[in-house]
Amino acid sequence: MPEFATALDLITRVHGVRGAMLVSVSDGLVVAESSMDGVDGAPVAALTASLAGRLRRTTEAAGRRLPTFIHLLAATGTVLAVPSNDDLLVVTIGAPDINVGLARLEMLHVAERGI
Amino acid sequence: MRSVGAMSDSIRAMTAQLVSDPASMIFLPLGEALRQRGQLDAAEKVALAGLGRYSESADAHDLYARILGDRGQLELAFDEWDIALRLEPDHVGAHKGIGFLYFVAGELDRALAHLETAARKLPDDDGAQTALARVKEALARRAAAGNGAGRETDTAVLTEEQAVVPGADPSRLFLGLEGAEDGLLLLDTRGLRLGGGLTSPEGDDVADAVSAHLAGVSQEASRTARLLGLGAWISLAAESPDGHLFVVAPTPETLLLLVREQSVPLGRLGVVADHAAGVARAWLEGLQ
Amino acid sequence: MRAVEPWVEGPLAAFLDESAARLTLLMTSAGQVLAQHGFTRAFDVMSAAALGAGIMASTDELARLMDAPPFRALAHQGVHHGLFLSGFDTPQGRWIGLVVFGPESSLGLVQLFFQRLVADLAKQAPTEAPSNRVLGSDFEDELNASLRTLFGQ
Repeated sequence: MPEFATALDLITRVHGVRGAMLVSVSDGLVVAESSMDGVDGAPVAALTASLAGRLRRTTEAAGRRLPTFIHLLAATGTVLAVPSNDDLLVVTIGAPDINVGLARLEMLHVAERGI
Repeated sequence: MRSVGAMSDSIRAMTAQLVSDPASMIFLPLGEALRQRGQLDAAEKVALAGLGRYSESADAHDLYARILGDRGQLELAFDEWDIALRLEPDHVGAHKGIGFLYFVAGELDRALAHLETAARKLPDDDGAQTALARVKEALARRAAAGNGAGRETDTAVLTEEQAVVPGADPSRLFLGLEGAEDGLLLLDTRGLRLGGGLTSPEGDDVADAVSAHLAGVSQEASRTARLLGLGAWISLAAESPDGHLFVVAPTPETLLLLVREQSVPLGRLGVVADHAAGVARAWLEGLQ
Repeated sequence: MRAVEPWVEGPLAAFLDESAARLTLLMTSAGQVLAQHGFTRAFDVMSAAALGAGIMASTDELARLMDAPPFRALAHQGVHHGLFLSGFDTPQGRWIGLVVFGPESSLGLVQLFFQRLVADLAKQAPTEAPSNRVLGSDFEDELNASLRTLFGQ
């Protein structure tokens, strides 16, 4: 799927990004991934999809519309997620010093293209 | 009210019938009788056995939901009642159950819809009638007082943690901070609100419902960071078209949620959240 | 949760906790049940084990016809539940795992934690020969006995 790979490659060029992928939210499975720097895509997909699902229910409970960008900051890394359509998620995993703003823009661009 | 002895005889008889005919629908009244006696393990076994045979039975899902509710597994109970309603949209037990859950969570409009259905079909059910009356009272108070006032009494149940603690008024927790009355929420990791408040854009009190969900979110965030080798989670932020959410953990036992309109940059939310977390820690220390 | 071999309990409990699986069955490739969670009737346990082992045998045969190595796992998604079936090697022989999950979990989570379960079982497995006890028929007796005990019969 070259169009997926090209789109995800743009994200991986952002400083601090270790890898990017497209994830099926309902299954928690990888749909497509760019080269991951020592990162196993399967757990990233499963866990991020589950987190996004829970956050979705929280924002619904708060009477807000669904999240358009999610940022999990941890001690030694970052996980970013942008919903693409009903069941797809653009996920990026990165170092603590990742350029979040630029990664977010590239992820939103991928998501808006409707891949 | 039946005597204990009479109920035991009835349960014995139903058990014998179920053992001799595992396909019997007697599992429904048997499971309910066991549940009412507080024998939740046995009730669950009976309910799950029945569900295994009758997975399309709304009554079976309703029974299991009630058992889960008694166990405090409210999210799973909600799922089971939701399934019951999908199987049978007019199922009275499911409407009543989901209505109660929304009532407890403070989602009064949703509670009203379900409890009205249940009360209409069960005019002699005191529980449904009483809950419906309380929801209507709370809605009337909210409408009369406008946004903010009466918020505390909209909540059907105040837990011990939510009750006023001597010397530490939870309503004054974030006093002086931007958004002190709406948009700052402190909760414990079990999902129980400790202070602050949150309303939906329509003005509904959603603090307790959101608190309940956030506990699961923080557990998921912690698990995600840990299993991906990223260490401990520090913060979780989410943008939505209706505003930004920001979650941090002021202490290992608490969570803080900050909600702001979309015009406030996400980066600024982190700064505000850190400050609010400091205020929360000081308040918590004051409780000890 | 019940397990024939006590050393299975720890890894299985961890799997159930993380994956939120509704039903889980561990069995030999011949369909002999070694551990289960969520089933309450012996008949269901034994039926599911037989069917699961049969499905794995069929897919193994398909793979053989294709001149391919055996399929590691298969998954089905229903309206309310998903099903995951996977064969794996243990020091005690070839086992099969059957997992049923609801919307509170996902195939990705089940696969992720099933891999951990397999690794944990490999670490915990003793080197002695396995027990030959069949789990399923004990379960209904246990339910009946517990209900009788409950009411002092």
